Amino acid sequence: MLTAAILVATAFVAGVTGAWSPCGFSMVETLGSAQPRLGARTVRLSCATFALGALAGGAITFTALGALGSLMHAGGAGLALAVAVAIALLAALGEALGVRIVPQIRRQVPEPWRRVLPLPLAAGLYGVLLGLGFTTFVLTLAVWALAGIAVAIGSPLAGLLIGLGFGAGRALPVVVMAPRYATLGERLEQRMAEQPSLLRRLRLADAALLATLALVMLASGSAAAAPVVVAPQGADPSVAGDELAWQGPDGKAVLVRGDTRRELSAQNVAIGGPNVAVRRGGEIVLLARSTLASAGTQLTGAGSPSQLAVSRDWIVFRVRRPGGGDLLYAASLRRTRIVLVATSSHRGRLGRPALAGDRLAYSVATPSGSRIVVQDLKRGTHRVVVSSTVHLLSQPALHDGRLLYVDASYCSQQLRVMSLRNPGHGRTLLQLGTTAHRDAGHDPGYTTQGSEPSLCPPGSPGRTDRVLWTTALGAHVAYVTLMRPGADGRAGAEIVRVPA
Amino acid sequence: MSERLSDRLAGGTSRRGFLARTGAWLVAVTTGTAALAVGAEDADAYHFCGHTFTTASCPHPTGIPRVDIKGYPLRSRDGKPVDDLGRLVDRHDHPIDEHGHRLRDTDGLLLPPAPRSRICQDMIPKRYGIEVHRDGSWYRCCGGTVRRLMDCCSTHRTRINGDAALAGYCAPGRYVFCVHYFQTSVPC
Repeated sequence: MLTAAILVATAFVAGVTGAWSPCGFSMVETLGSAQPRLGARTVRLSCATFALGALAGGAITFTALGALGSLMHAGGAGLALAVAVAIALLAALGEALGVRIVPQIRRQVPEPWRRVLPLPLAAGLYGVLLGLGFTTFVLTLAVWALAGIAVAIGSPLAGLLIGLGFGAGRALPVVVMAPRYATLGERLEQRMAEQPSLLRRLRLADAALLATLALVMLASGSAAAAPVVVAPQGADPSVAGDELAWQGPDGKAVLVRGDTRRELSAQNVAIGGPNVAVRRGGEIVLLARSTLASAGTQLTGAGSPSQLAVSRDWIVFRVRRPGGGDLLYAASLRRTRIVLVATSSHRGRLGRPALAGDRLAYSVATPSGSRIVVQDLKRGTHRVVVSSTVHLLSQPALHDGRLLYVDASYCSQQLRVMSLRNPGHGRTLLQLGTTAHRDAGHDPGYTTQGSEPSLCPPGSPGRTDRVLWTTALGAHVAYVTLMRPGADGRAGAEIVRVPA
Repeated sequence: MSERLSDRLAGGTSRRGFLARTGAWLVAVTTGTAALAVGAEDADAYHFCGHTFTTASCPHPTGIPRVDIKGYPLRSRDGKPVDDLGRLVDRHDHPIDEHGHRLRDTDGLLLPPAPRSRICQDMIPKRYGIEVHRDGSWYRCCGGTVRRLMDCCSTHRTRINGDAALAGYCAPGRYVFCVHYFQTSVPC
């Protein structure tokens, strides 16, 4: 929120600074001097259309840049943050030193428009051109910096905020000065033209805002990137409302809400809606979440169940097939029926299921590829949301139309979140290194040339023993198990929380 | 790797396949049995032993492009099979630790398998969207055993480096896109 406010303020001041351009002066004079000829009402109307045009122009440019950034990096939060901070700091330094604007766009709006078009229409079109930001002279490095930051942040919404702030800043001097041109506008115009210190002060203000923006982005980004350990010895998180449940190492499940902590005997636990589902040996038991009393539902004889998900109307559980592979069953709590919803071959694995209402998500991993499937249990429809023949996609969690999952490659493991409505665009909440022992890509003592295709991108995290494992997704936070896999039951795990 | 001296001769002119073959013939005639001497020690090379020109490696999950006889990735330093994530795997593609034990999660269940792709035939089409063939190869002595240096060939004139591809050991009409190798157990 603070970052957004400072972004808007920076864009606004950058827009105001634009009044010192040939076009900025021309706009004030064009609209202000028309009053005796066309009347105050026409000038006010023209100011309004100019302001709307400037807002529209700014919104177009910076929203497009945000969308472009979204397409370019689609995640990579750490690198994007570093780029945005670097741009802001460099531009702040340049503004503080008052360096020449490079590159400079030496173009102006078309002068004939004010003669051949009705003034309100011409003003509106002039506003669009000035709001676009890069069609006429640029008087502050902040404009270039904001463009870079919009791309680096990669959020169309952030771009829109920047654009509206910039458009408002471009419109303000015109809207304030033109209607009162005879009494105020002309005098201010003279001061602007004769006192370079005014522009210098505005550029210093730009510098201060850009520096503040860099610091705030750095602080918020660092906070966002830092995972918080919520269960030092826990695994398989599950979230419902403000309550978090996980599996402890000693056959105990833990439920935590605020300062209240409850424990119960279980080998697997899941919460959802008003329910708690636990596995005790080969039995799955449904409990009331409010009291942990039995809700009367008990599933037995389901083979060797492991991993659960529960919602108000469904329990879903995974069963290991004797010959290899998994089965995924869904039990309706309303109709007391059990249906087989997914299977994997003996070489494949089904991941831990996740439920949100009637919507089920699960992963399928095989040596030929991996995918995450979302299924509507009520309608019986399903779709593959993401898939890969190179990466391992696993550990889905659902919340309110969003999907959380783990994307592992030979360079990194990423905890990613995306909208189910727009699955192509996700963002990375947490990134760890790969578990692979990678070499330098060339034999010792040989040249490095030729090793490039196998190298990981710059900034890739270093190797780790920990695996991003089971996940849970709440309204504003995501949980993930950091597991150290082991042979002979020696796996260790902790659960961390990151903002989502 | 398989861009030999003949490739350099051909590459300096038109890079057409017949020139490469002509270059090969000239080299064979003029150098004669001297060429047989190569391999008495580890072959001098570019970024890995045996590779004699600048075409880059095929992307490999652990780096150096070592593969098994079928083209699946192996860890360079010990020849152990790895999956597309670079994890050691057993012959059933289950992830294992350094001692060969299957890795398990907190429930004691096996970790899920990751994709395992042949680094020329599978990985290149997946990543670059081009059709490739493993056409030709050459053998050199590396690390005490014979190494088979293999070209991953395509009809594209641009190699993985981003510049003009050479003919290497590829079939006529195809060019070296990237390179990888198989380490035999034959001592040398």
